Amino acid sequence: MEEQDKLKILKELLFTEEHEFADSIAQKIDDLTKIVYQKKELSHKVDPIIDDKLQEFVLEIPKTLGPTITETLREEIKNSQDAVVEALFPIIGKMIKKYIAHEMKLLSENISRKTKKAFSFKNWFQRTKAKAQGVSDGDLAINEYAKPRLIQMFVIEKNSGILLADYSPLSEGTIDKEMIAGMLTAIKSFVEDAFRGGDQNLELIEYELYTIHIQNFYSYYVAAVISGAYNMMFKEVLEDQIIDFAKNNISNKDLENSILFTKKLKKHFADEIV
Amino acid sequence: MKLSKKVVLLGHFGVGKTSLFRRFIDNEFSEEYKVTLGVQIKKKIVQLPDGKELSMIIWDTEGHSNSIEDTRKSYLLGSHAFIYVFDVTRPETYATLNQDLEYLKENYTKVPAKILGNKLDLVNQKEISDHLISQNIHFDCLASAKTNKNVQDFFSDLAKEIAS
Repeated sequence: MEEQDKLKILKELLFTEEHEFADSIAQKIDDLTKIVYQKKELSHKVDPIIDDKLQEFVLEIPKTLGPTITETLREEIKNSQDAVVEALFPIIGKMIKKYIAHEMKLLSENISRKTKKAFSFKNWFQRTKAKAQGVSDGDLAINEYAKPRLIQMFVIEKNSGILLADYSPLSEGTIDKEMIAGMLTAIKSFVEDAFRGGDQNLELIEYELYTIHIQNFYSYYVAAVISGAYNMMFKEVLEDQIIDFAKNNISNKDLENSILFTKKLKKHFADEIV
Repeated sequence: MKLSKKVVLLGHFGVGKTSLFRRFIDNEFSEEYKVTLGVQIKKKIVQLPDGKELSMIIWDTEGHSNSIEDTRKSYLLGSHAFIYVFDVTRPETYATLNQDLEYLKENYTKVPAKILGNKLDLVNQKEISDHLISQNIHFDCLASAKTNKNVQDFFSDLAKEIAS
């Protein structure tokens, strides 16, 4: 037996246990590798632990993170109120619109019910009118209430924005009319310049419950502030009345004498249906 | 009879048009600089020597960066006077003054244009006057919106001129 063979036998005798131990470790590593690299195996082992931890985490959130999140949100909302309002505005607007439509429907139904119960000559006339127009008594009553009304009328020099005359069927307001005339002219000039529409003119401005009807003439324009439901029928009547006034009352002399012009404007529109 | 006149403030950015406007109308001044976007309009009733009142409707336009031709033309239409404002401490704000005046004269023949150098409180009046004249810059008034120096007199004189 040679020296090397002897050494080999001796090694086997001495390291048998270590070999077996090393083999068992290799086997365990193989098993672990399978678990780690095979998603299904790993999931099988880890999921229950994660689920438990998540469950604990969810239960703990209100206690641990709750105050911090609330404080952060409060701070963020406080610091960016405009952005929050901007984001919520369309949603709230839609909700309000839906709510108002619903309430108007209820109101209309309520009015219809009450008018049917009560008898008077006026009610009988209203009901006949509603029937003829194909609408309910309630809708007719609401339409009557929301009908357009002239709030204020301005006659303004086109280029300078100088107020030539004004009339309001209501009591005198505190707002400076000359500044309104100037700003309306600036807005009008800006829009007409910005869109470069040739000879096209701005004819309508809407804001909340009001509409500003603008009628252009050569050297001046008329701006009529209307409350209520501004509609085509009203627009036509108003346009005709303004044209009629311009045709019969406005001369170059009037444009130079604002006191006289204002008197004429008041006299004309105080008698008109608008 | 009520008399109303439109006066437009013109000039480069940051020369103090809005400060003059606020000083004359509300007698206020603020060091805080806010750029004017578009135009703002205010009015002041000025008592004339003959006892009549003049309603001065003042249009404070946004400043231009190069030439007055950048200013929205529709804001200038129908004006009864222009006030061209420059900053006495910034030569670039009066560098194009003569060309700008020429442009106004050509396009708005009947409208008087007054030249006002603002921020007088930051310079020596005699030195800046000599300097401007040497640069062929002719002005109607040197004033300070901050200290109110010459502001009220300038606007009162203008009111008298356009009312007559």
